[in-house]
Amino acid sequence: MDAAVKTENEAKKLLTADDIADKKEKLTLPKVIIYIFLVLTAIVYIAPLLWVFNVSFKTNREIFSAPFALPQDITFDNYTFAWTAGKLGIATLNSFIVCVITLALSMIIGSMAAFGIGRLRWKGSKLAMTYFLTGMMIPVHCVLIPLFTRFAKLGLSNNLLGLILPYLTFALPITIFIMTGFFESMPNELIECACMEGANLFQIFFEICLPLGKTGLFVTGLMTFIGNWNELLLAMVFISDDAKKTLPVSLSKFVGPYNTNYSQMFAAIIIAIIPTIIVYCAFSNQIVDGLTAGAVKG
Amino acid sequence: MDKLLRNKKAIVIFMAPAFILFTLVLFVPICQSVYYSFCEYKGITAPKFIGLANYKALLTDKTLGFAIKNSIFFLVFSCVSQLIMGLFLAALLTNIKKGRNLFKNIIYLPCVLSSAALGLLWMFIFSPKLGINQLLEKMGVEGPLWLMDTKGFIILPMWVIAFVSLWQYVGQSMMLYMAQISGISKSLFEASYIDGCTKPQTFWHITLPLIRPMVATAMSLNAIGSLKFFDLIFNMTEGGPNHRTEVLATHLYQQGFKYFKYGYASAIGVLLLIMCLLVTLFINKVVKTEQYEM
Amino acid sequence: MKRKILATILSAATIATTFAGCGGSSSPATPAPAASPAGDSGSSSGEVQEITWMFWDDLDATEDLISLGYKQNIERFNKDYEGKYHVTPITTNLEEYYNKLNALVAAGETPDVFIVSPGPQLTDYVEPGVAAPLDDYLGKDGWKDSFTSDAVFSQQTYDGKIYAVPLNTAAACCFYNTEMFEKAGAKVPTNWDEMIAACDALQSAGYTPVTISAGTAWCLSMVAGYLCEAEGVELPKLADGSASWEDGKLENACNKLLQLSQYFQKTAAGDTNDVATANFYNEEAAILIQGSWAIGQINGANPDFEAKCGVFQFPGVERVIAKSDSLAMSSTSKYPEAAAALMKYFTDDTAQKYTAEVGGKIPVTKVQYDADKAPKQLAYVMDVFGGAKGTFGFYNESMPTTETGAHFDDTMVSVFLGDMTPADAAKDMEQYYKDNCRK
Repeated sequence: MDAAVKTENEAKKLLTADDIADKKEKLTLPKVIIYIFLVLTAIVYIAPLLWVFNVSFKTNREIFSAPFALPQDITFDNYTFAWTAGKLGIATLNSFIVCVITLALSMIIGSMAAFGIGRLRWKGSKLAMTYFLTGMMIPVHCVLIPLFTRFAKLGLSNNLLGLILPYLTFALPITIFIMTGFFESMPNELIECACMEGANLFQIFFEICLPLGKTGLFVTGLMTFIGNWNELLLAMVFISDDAKKTLPVSLSKFVGPYNTNYSQMFAAIIIAIIPTIIVYCAFSNQIVDGLTAGAVKG
Repeated sequence: MDKLLRNKKAIVIFMAPAFILFTLVLFVPICQSVYYSFCEYKGITAPKFIGLANYKALLTDKTLGFAIKNSIFFLVFSCVSQLIMGLFLAALLTNIKKGRNLFKNIIYLPCVLSSAALGLLWMFIFSPKLGINQLLEKMGVEGPLWLMDTKGFIILPMWVIAFVSLWQYVGQSMMLYMAQISGISKSLFEASYIDGCTKPQTFWHITLPLIRPMVATAMSLNAIGSLKFFDLIFNMTEGGPNHRTEVLATHLYQQGFKYFKYGYASAIGVLLLIMCLLVTLFINKVVKTEQYEM
Repeated sequence: MKRKILATILSAATIATTFAGCGGSSSPATPAPAASPAGDSGSSSGEVQEITWMFWDDLDATEDLISLGYKQNIERFNKDYEGKYHVTPITTNLEEYYNKLNALVAAGETPDVFIVSPGPQLTDYVEPGVAAPLDDYLGKDGWKDSFTSDAVFSQQTYDGKIYAVPLNTAAACCFYNTEMFEKAGAKVPTNWDEMIAACDALQSAGYTPVTISAGTAWCLSMVAGYLCEAEGVELPKLADGSASWEDGKLENACNKLLQLSQYFQKTAAGDTNDVATANFYNEEAAILIQGSWAIGQINGANPDFEAKCGVFQFPGVERVIAKSDSLAMSSTSKYPEAAAALMKYFTDDTAQKYTAEVGGKIPVTKVQYDADKAPKQLAYVMDVFGGAKGTFGFYNESMPTTETGAHFDDTMVSVFLGDMTPADAAKDMEQYYKDNCRK
């Protein structure tokens, strides 16, 4: 009996100690070690980006003679060159066009199918779901060659539409999967009510279900957008015209036949990642949580 | 209402766009790819059926040997390292309050950046004339040839690339584990403290078993991701030196789009597809066990 | 029931498209009904004839002097023929050039004029009939006579017909830092032993004797090609099986490569082509073995270096490795006259003068250029070129297929890295030829 009380008291003590640590964040030794470790980790993450930022202001000769020194004089020549002559400006625009169109279409087409699977009543819905889900396991490399030869014949190679189609298709499985979950979990009563009021299916879909599935749309949209913004392989294979290249492909343009334009290449790297970093800094919590939620469900 | 939801026309309208796209852009090409893998197909000329010759050629392809070895190395390395580092970082971050968000966001950052750009960046950092070796030289150490060394079973460049990919993607595993840990109810932890468990003990006996389903999710994400791995290698080494850092995806690209052996490249694609399916099945069978109520 | 029908239709459609995909792709770019003979091209209609030209460097972003010269040619052409012809360049980077070109060929949109390397790559387009024979155009207006000799077409001729027009020639030479040679008391070598002696002298004077790139495999392989030539390797005989890689010649060449590699810069294995060249113009190494296209890069990056830069022929060989950019014309071109007119703009006096005076490459025509304006190194390269008993192509571009060439490059890098002994390399090449190259 005595012993029992004692342990209980001890436990209480422990609990309160933990509570205090949680609330006031007392700096104990383990915490200090944790912080030191985390700061070092953060340096490993930030330093390479800062380095390339620094180097991007230098000339080719400077880069080789003193890669770590600060640039002798800060000019934006490398940037203007990469942006105009290197056509990164156009590439950014192309990336944007492709990603936005894919995003919009994948949301509409994907959630329509998800609604069809999750809400409409038909026998094949389970099967359809399995069909779409197999798409998640298929690596894009496996369809690269047939798509490439086919698109070349249809005039879709060297055409932004030729990128949008596969991007859209590969975004569908995850969109359908996540959105189906959302639609299935919506209360039946909502739809019943709408039915009574004489709404048709499309009204139910566009006016009730879609607005309620906003979170799902945000999550899938984010995943689609970021995935496509960074996609390299398809874009590299399908697009040959400089005026139609997307950002990740344009980066390799600075490797010429017999020499490489290092300084402009570094500027190009910065141009390629800066928009993402800015958006990320502004909405980091939503982005991280959204992507994680998407990955969990996927 | 039932009638409304069983409307055939509506079902077709809702399903058709996705179904048609999916079939034409994914399913049909997969079938075509399988067919091409039995053909000699050089791009400019028409495919010619040659039976299993491409698959026989796979067996004697030395580069494919490297590619498979490297792909498996990647698979194992990324599964193990992401599990350990991801869990470790998640455990650390759940233990602090101040700056948790900041650190979390910093570590997650590379996940959303273009791996093509990051690949170029790391390529320069590890090149002999710039980056790390210049720093080491200042300290009087002669750095190794990070991306060109060919000694050992798993060569140094592979390790370098593997660590860069860990650097880039560990944030995702970390977040998955953090999400799961924060989902565990407080009362469970409290109970374990009442039972006199220390923090590490609690982590081992309560947290770990409870996040096991998430381990399966994270692992299959890592596994599939590592089999599809392309951008970083393509921009860091392009499969060199001498194809020693080639993986299945880069080998397929080389054979298909550098030497225009579409048939042979399709055979590699089929191999890759089979590996992806097997790995997913394996992980879901072995790692995913019953979910605990939380 | 209805659903069943729908399913059947869908699956049938699926199968149909699958087969269409397999069978339908059997038509390669069908040659257009015989390219219209000279003279009657559609200019009478008053419409501008639009043609395309495909090239492997971005004309706006490039710093390569030769590429910039091509850009000027294009601009001149469009200006002079305004209202009659117009050309639009399609550019990619070198890495993916042939990939994109093939895509366009497969899509039936072969560019009217495209650049191509002589060797297996050109063969790839000549054999399926993608490239058109050019003899008719060359024969007119004395175009062909403007070239230095018929020999410039040797690599572009198949069955007596010329399928591509060379634009300029670059020769692979040894560039050297005259100041370092002087200080080290090294002599310009004329044979292998003297080469080793010179390297020894440079090394004992504290210099890095040779800068080279094994990170960019063809650079190392170029040196290996010279060493093979010195040993008397005969590629055509190897290809038809009347000679063997294992006859000891390749092994000797590899041993010499290893001997020379003692004098390479420490980071040779990882350095790319650019870095190796930068080592030379930044005066960190005494000898650079490179193609003469590097002259523009060297002088552009370090103008003061021009005076110190000498050139000698790779010691121990009588021929030099030469490479020429060539233009081919599509056999399906709608406006072959316009295409031929464009090609002429690359070999006219203005273009060829630029090639020599600014680009630092050897012109292919009899043009008179101002030697004082041209980079100093060009005169030295011309001397080497003139003194040589002939030329031969890059080894990796003189083999039966591009992939064979890449395999040779890789094998040479393996030898250099110590992954393969010279004997193994010979065995490996012989096996590869047996498996892939000899019928």
